[in-house]
Amino acid sequence: MSGTPSAAPPERVLLPKRLRAAEVVDALADLRRRPENASVVLDFGQVEEFDSAALAFVGYVRSRRLPVVAANVGGALARAEESFVRRPPAEPVPAPPEDGRAGRFARACADRFLDRVRALGRFLAMLGDEAYHIGGYLRTRRGVYPGETWNQMFFMGYQSYPIVCLLLFLVGVTISITSAEQLRVFGADAYIADIIGYAMLRELVPLMTGVILAGKVGAAVTAELASMTVLEEVDALRTMGLVPEKFLMVPRLLAITLVVPLLVAMADVAGILGGMIVARVTFGMLPAAFLEQMTNTVDWVDFAWGLAKTVVFGWAVVVGAGFKGLTVGRSAEEVGRATTESVVLSITMIIVLDCVFAFIIY
Amino acid sequence: MDIISARGLSVGYGKTEVLRDLTFGVPEGRITVVLGVSGSGKSTLLKTLAGLLPPLGGGFAFDGAPVDYRSEASLALVYRRIGVLYQGGALLNGLTLAENVALPIRMHFPDLPEDMVLDMVHAGLAQVEMADAASKYPAELSGGMRKRGALARALALDPDVVFCDEPSSGLDPITSSRLDGLLLRLKETFGMTLVVVTHELRSIERVADRVLVLHDGRLHFDDEASALAGADDAFIRTFFLKESAP
Repeated sequence: MSGTPSAAPPERVLLPKRLRAAEVVDALADLRRRPENASVVLDFGQVEEFDSAALAFVGYVRSRRLPVVAANVGGALARAEESFVRRPPAEPVPAPPEDGRAGRFARACADRFLDRVRALGRFLAMLGDEAYHIGGYLRTRRGVYPGETWNQMFFMGYQSYPIVCLLLFLVGVTISITSAEQLRVFGADAYIADIIGYAMLRELVPLMTGVILAGKVGAAVTAELASMTVLEEVDALRTMGLVPEKFLMVPRLLAITLVVPLLVAMADVAGILGGMIVARVTFGMLPAAFLEQMTNTVDWVDFAWGLAKTVVFGWAVVVGAGFKGLTVGRSAEEVGRATTESVVLSITMIIVLDCVFAFIIY
Repeated sequence: MDIISARGLSVGYGKTEVLRDLTFGVPEGRITVVLGVSGSGKSTLLKTLAGLLPPLGGGFAFDGAPVDYRSEASLALVYRRIGVLYQGGALLNGLTLAENVALPIRMHFPDLPEDMVLDMVHAGLAQVEMADAASKYPAELSGGMRKRGALARALALDPDVVFCDEPSSGLDPITSSRLDGLLLRLKETFGMTLVVVTHELRSIERVADRVLVLHDGRLHFDDEASALAGADDAFIRTFFLKESAP
């Protein structure tokens, strides 16, 4: 292939009898190995067995104005090529808007921001609807399936308390060990009880319980409601004359309201027990002394604040999860996405609300 | 007399118009079949008529009263008079078949004695030949059984109009034929109005009194089922007479 390519006679390449995708790839590789201007005649005369890749290959060779030509395309291959519907020519790409890259970026940001604002509006509307539906249900006791609140309480409370207690016990142990090190330096060993009691009742139990509920209850509620939406069960409820936002959400909101106090009480005990064990092991502090020291600092108001915070976090989790579940699209993959978004939304709301509570309480 | 009458109705999702400017009527006590190729907007139209999807233009009246999508009361009136058989059945998975059928009765008439509710459920399930499966959960039922169960639920409150979204899809010919027989019995025995969305030719031949054909985003044909055979239209001929597409 040396010398002036245009002057050299074209090289004839005989394609094999079987020309399917694998052989087409080989033929293309062979063409690429040749100099760019090398003149080649691809002879399809022997081809008997072919597939759509071979037909596309014939079209590719013919349309590219390469110094490569297709020859002897006949028989079954020619007939198949006639019926091979080719891609229409690509539509001209519309000119980008004149505002340039920065303008497009700004517009995309604005669109995204507006989407978020609309979603926030829908969320707040749902929040208002739920308050209305709960009020309506408590007044009339209608519109909710009998026994559903108990089912939800069983799931949210009975099936959640082991993990809540275990994690809060471990948090109590961890906080206690961390604090003990510093308190020993200052000779303030006895204050470990105050720290554990105060931190657990006011902050750690509400926050950790909220996060555990977001992961366990929130994700499950979203997955269930989103599946129901995708499978048209929510539509079915609506055409039965029921209000899905009431039928599905009110039992869950009532259940979380009723189980959270129990969960908080158990979590408080578990966390304080963890701290107490560490205090006994580290400082030799007797449980009675620990409790006496703790009750000097914390009282029922701290428990009540912790409880109030956790109930609000629980509502945020259930409403956030319901919002994501009931506004999901129509495809199965959106169920997974909605579930993930629900957990993120719930945890974000919990932390924002916790911050708001910090301003209110302190 | 038409129990549903649409005028200039346009339907779709968001800003996407799937069907535009439809004007038609659904005659009372008869079976109206809505048909068209996949993606022609049959189910979208059904959802709009069932009060689930607001129209993008025009509107329709139910038994002479215009349906206002912004009014909960107006939609509630529609929901009280319709039953919907969804494509997949849409039975609630956490409830047994009997509990699914009892659901609309219990929710709308909470003061009915439980014995009466159970009798109504049994009668409803017997009507669709599913009384033996009353205590089964939807996951334990075959596709055909789920649809029959869902039909029993749709009929629980004795609706005036039953919408059926592709009742035969995914069913074998025998089960599909039984379901069609059920729909015919509902019309003949109870004088019920049925709107059936399908593209199953056998079903159409068996049950249709009136036919609406959707094509290219418009209402292509609106006439008696008997008029289909003589229709001088390339699309109809292709659809029904199985001629190859031009």
